[in-house]
Amino acid sequence: MNLITTHELAVYAGETQLLQPMSLTLSAGERLTILGQTGSGKSLLAQAIMGNLPSSLRCTGQVELFGETVEERFRPALWGNKLSLLPQEPWNALSPLMKVGNQLVETYRWVAGQKKAQAQANAEQVLTDYGLASSDHKRVDELSGGMAQRVAIACAMAGGAPVLLADEPTKGLDVSRRDQVVQLLLKQSDQGALVTITHDVAVARQIGGRVMVMKQGVLVEDGQAEEVLNTPQHPYTQSLIEADPVRWPKGSETHFAEQGDALIQVNQLAIGRGNTILVSDLNFTVHTGEVIGVVGDSGCGKSTLGDTLLNLTPAMAGRVERFSSADQYRWQKLYQDPTAAVSHAVSLRTLLMDMVSLHKVDTDRIEPLMARLGLDDDLLNRTASQISGGELQRFCMLRVLLLDPVFLFADEPTSRLDPITTREVSQLLVDAAKEQGCAVMLVSHDPALIEKRCDRVIQLTT
Amino acid sequence: MNRLKLSLSQKIGFSLLLVLVLYSAGATFLQAGDSASQNLSHILSAPDGQFWLGTDHYGRNMWLRLAEALQLSLMMAVLCVLTASITGVTLGVLAATRGHTLDRLLDFVVTLILALPGLVLVLIFAAIAPGSFLVLYIAIALIQWIEYFRVTRAIVQRLAVSPAVQSSKLMGFDNWYLFKRHYWPVIAPQLFPLAAFGAANAVLMMASLGFVSVGIQPPTAELGQMIVELFPYYSEAPWLLAQPLIVLAMFVLACHLCGKGAEQ
Repeated sequence: MNLITTHELAVYAGETQLLQPMSLTLSAGERLTILGQTGSGKSLLAQAIMGNLPSSLRCTGQVELFGETVEERFRPALWGNKLSLLPQEPWNALSPLMKVGNQLVETYRWVAGQKKAQAQANAEQVLTDYGLASSDHKRVDELSGGMAQRVAIACAMAGGAPVLLADEPTKGLDVSRRDQVVQLLLKQSDQGALVTITHDVAVARQIGGRVMVMKQGVLVEDGQAEEVLNTPQHPYTQSLIEADPVRWPKGSETHFAEQGDALIQVNQLAIGRGNTILVSDLNFTVHTGEVIGVVGDSGCGKSTLGDTLLNLTPAMAGRVERFSSADQYRWQKLYQDPTAAVSHAVSLRTLLMDMVSLHKVDTDRIEPLMARLGLDDDLLNRTASQISGGELQRFCMLRVLLLDPVFLFADEPTSRLDPITTREVSQLLVDAAKEQGCAVMLVSHDPALIEKRCDRVIQLTT
Repeated sequence: MNRLKLSLSQKIGFSLLLVLVLYSAGATFLQAGDSASQNLSHILSAPDGQFWLGTDHYGRNMWLRLAEALQLSLMMAVLCVLTASITGVTLGVLAATRGHTLDRLLDFVVTLILALPGLVLVLIFAAIAPGSFLVLYIAIALIQWIEYFRVTRAIVQRLAVSPAVQSSKLMGFDNWYLFKRHYWPVIAPQLFPLAAFGAANAVLMMASLGFVSVGIQPPTAELGQMIVELFPYYSEAPWLLAQPLIVLAMFVLACHLCGKGAEQ
């Protein structure tokens, strides 16, 4: 029996087509992965099937669920029990006030309709299975991203829905956590159907089944996972696969090992926040023109290391010695979430010009650098809320690079970007280091990216 | 862009406010005379061609008296809103950004003021110097800055540790820039409803004090004091008592309508 069938399902904003008419079928035990960059209309397809599109968007075509056509307004009745959505960003999907154990118990009780005792037993069992038994009494903000995502999956599956739509289930997770999440999703798909939306080629590879590649609301390639991912036909699919850090060329031409002078020397450094020491006994030297990778589990103090080196957080013990007398503003930082790192109140041009006039930056340098970063002049007329995360991250790089930094701490600058943008942004960082003689510390949870981009790696362990 | 888009209730509120301002400012141009001269042979008269809103129990021109009272109320509202918001926002930003000691100190002062009901504090001030507009204004502003302070402090505390502010600091921008680009754009939309309700409260407080005869003293016209003066004549001349009440109600309604739309 076909669990999902769509006939010419399309999404419009006013008269603009955001998603071309799509017809697909998915039967029990099948897995479908929708692959594409951010803004390619992947999430719209899932929302159109669920029936939770924003009211400003219009949907045409038909959706058949479990063998019969269901109008959009009747679909909420199926949510939870028949049709379940695992939303992006588990923090936003779970209640911030309730303990995770109780959230899961409630889902079993009120969505699956179980008795209290049975719901509690089930929740306990599932949390143990997911390795979350000790987190039963924690709130969402006390969990790491991977744990919160596992809780969200547990909740999404608790209703016993045979169809699960997972929207970017691995966004922002490191590799081991990502694999765990994929395993959980695969387990679910044994009994029902699984639709996964992702920009991560590795995830598509692990899940297998059918793959649909989308670009700007248009289906560009469709087929079995092995076929599409190993012998991609469409240039877009090829570039998407090439953008996976594992496939990047090891940049020998960009990585000349020639090191400059020592810039920062760290002796017996202990870093921490408040009164808690996160890492101690750090000893290393940063040279100009060098790209250093910083890796470690989430919450192990990678960001704190950056703040300590930039004098934003006091060191708990030990010494940080700077061998450069460059102005404070040339010690810079790139942020994980670019939308949180700039003011949304004025246009980007105003922000850029504020900085240009403060530090008397040569305005002739702006245009060529913008061209290299792939930024349109038009973009500067908008505010930070009106452009995509990738564009904003490149804008942040523009501002930072115009300051001729001597040291740049890039705190997971690519974790929210799709692979194609990730490749460009990380390459630009390396270029900046080599051309401007700036020392770059690059934090990432992607070992492949660190391996391909960095001269050496600092591993933080608590 | 959003700031220019007014909701329907805001449009009504601003129109009402405009009518009141025009009346208070233009009343003397339309009808000659003054608000204090008495005419005991012409008391408690109904509105007519000569006295558009009638005369009170001393035969004073109600059209002019009401305009004078309204002028005083509007002035109090504007002064209180300006003083309270500037003080509140400035101290709020300082408390959130200038270290623990100042924050504790300001928190102490605020708790002290909040421990007394607002009107009681104003009453104490008014009792010290009855009839002084200046003392009333200081007392009301002293109570009202706290709201601005608390809202500003809460917003800025959150923003001051955000990556955006950290990034601007790293780029070498000064504190004024942080205020201009980061704090003010977030604070400003919150201030407008506060200011609208604050204006209404300031006028109501002044009228309350006038009503219990510790506010502005006669012969200066003041809304609360006019209400209590005209109260004994409510059965013979109900239109007279109604006038200050209607003006007061209109002003409060206008303020609340303006503030209501801004919240959405």
